Amino acid sequence: MKRLLLAGFTVLLVVLAFYPMGGTGYGVRTMLQLFMWIALAQSWNLISGLTGYVSFGHVAFFGMGAYTTAILVTKLGWPWLAACLAGGVTAMALALVIGWPCLRLKGPYFAIAMLGLNEVLRVIVSYYEGLTGGGSGLSMPTLHASVPIYYAMGLVALLVTALAYVIVTSRFGLRLMTIREDEVAAESMGIDTFRYKLYAFLLSALAPGIVGGLAARDQGYIEPMSVFPLITTITMIVMVLFGGKGTIWGPVLGAVLLFTFQEIVWARFIYLHQLIFGGIIIAVVLLMPRGILGVLQQKYNLPRTI
Amino acid sequence: MVGQVVISGLLAGALYAMVALGLGLIFGVMRVLNVAHGPLLMLGAYTTFWLFHWFGLNPYLSLLVSMPALFVVGVVLQRLLVRRVVDAPELSSLLLLFGVGIALVNVTQLAFTSDLRSVEYLTGSFVWGPFAFSKSRVIACAFAIVITAGAFWFLQKTRLGKALRAVSQSREVAQVCGVNVQRIHMLAFGFASALAAAGGSLVAVMVAIQPEMGQVYTFKSFLVIVLGGAGNYPGALVGGLLLGLVEQLSSLFLTTQVNEAVAYVLLVLVLLVRPTGLFKGRAS
Repeated sequence: MKRLLLAGFTVLLVVLAFYPMGGTGYGVRTMLQLFMWIALAQSWNLISGLTGYVSFGHVAFFGMGAYTTAILVTKLGWPWLAACLAGGVTAMALALVIGWPCLRLKGPYFAIAMLGLNEVLRVIVSYYEGLTGGGSGLSMPTLHASVPIYYAMGLVALLVTALAYVIVTSRFGLRLMTIREDEVAAESMGIDTFRYKLYAFLLSALAPGIVGGLAARDQGYIEPMSVFPLITTITMIVMVLFGGKGTIWGPVLGAVLLFTFQEIVWARFIYLHQLIFGGIIIAVVLLMPRGILGVLQQKYNLPRTI
Repeated sequence: MVGQVVISGLLAGALYAMVALGLGLIFGVMRVLNVAHGPLLMLGAYTTFWLFHWFGLNPYLSLLVSMPALFVVGVVLQRLLVRRVVDAPELSSLLLLFGVGIALVNVTQLAFTSDLRSVEYLTGSFVWGPFAFSKSRVIACAFAIVITAGAFWFLQKTRLGKALRAVSQSREVAQVCGVNVQRIHMLAFGFASALAAAGGSLVAVMVAIQPEMGQVYTFKSFLVIVLGGAGNYPGALVGGLLLGLVEQLSSLFLTTQVNEAVAYVLLVLVLLVRPTGLFKGRAS
């Protein structure tokens, strides 16, 4: 069984690697977005799925990466790949600045603080017009690089999934999950909870930063409302929840299913999509809070590292 | 100038306090953050708008319709949905209510379109010495004070109000003393929605009505209960007034755009420096 899965996965990777040679431009960009969502969902899972701290403003790191990239490309003329990597670094720096104080907050207070910080960031970006273009945004020179960005995005999604595997199977991951189950108990067992939460938070900010930069470069234009929307955070969360919170493949599964659903259904019911999305959220929370993999895990006694 | 600003701040603050009291009730009683508080407020505003538009009903009289109507909506929401996530980790209730919120906004968009609407009822200002205040704001403040006072009377003096406070202090002990906790939860959600509706009806006369008008009130209400200390109901009052004051005072120095962020910055700072609120609230 394990071999079969591994073989299937390898075939899938090969197909995806050669896809841009045969696929249409539209197809490549759709897949690129799917990779983006996988990376985002996977990253959210690293902090919130493992430690239980709800990062309700995770899109802030995406926005940070997007703006870093756009500024480096337009003002300093950096190549896009370097600028995107720099976006990951600034997103981590932001996570350090935010996480240092905020990770001491418990439960709903952390969620509110993250929500507030995302809004603060959006206003700051709108305000510093000299650097960020303010409300009118930043346009980058056109670049026909969908295919390289496709590979970069795919690589990030793959690496962040590998990172999730490494973390979940390590002592570090066990410590994080102990914090989720009972923080006081974790602390009394000698786990420096604050330090590990901060590490997880930093790691969870890296991929959104890079992916934010890649998405910005691909679109060529960003503005505050388009890179800091609360709905992006919510989408990441719902993907993870749907697939299975705290698992390795759950975020991937959730991202694939929800993204496909969005592509197929929302395009047809453009006026209803928030209503449908609201309905999906409610259904997922009420009917399967453990997610697809969580349910399967329990039912078939699957390993923790699924 | 400063006097004018201070009074404007207090006028706005009374309204914030009333709306936030609703959010605080739900948080205090159930430890659930109602992210859909703003959309409920928006429904209250639309109730007032349509009653005014179709029947010419006085917007202030429409409180008598919007509050009971939203009370029922709140009770139904609690009964059908929120009840199931009260004891789950906070992520469940946050997401569930967010889902409810966007669904309500979307339904409103479909039913009434996204057009900006307004109730043109009270225009003009009261002039008093060197100060001038728009009539609608003064009257909204008066109503907010009366409704908030009524809510406090209810919480302090009636048996139900006492039961509600008891549940927010300790659910188990209240239950042992014979309080029907499920019923109190429904009541709390109902009252909270009615308070949001009152806020909606009162701001309907002052600002443009559109489906997404509620969101800012959700955030501001978060701030107010954080300022006041979660579960500390009188604290919410002071928090509301404080927010009104700070917003108005900062508008003297900052552009409108940056002023929007003042509430958020304050929220984050207070959370970091005094997570229990400026007055002793109940620690989580």
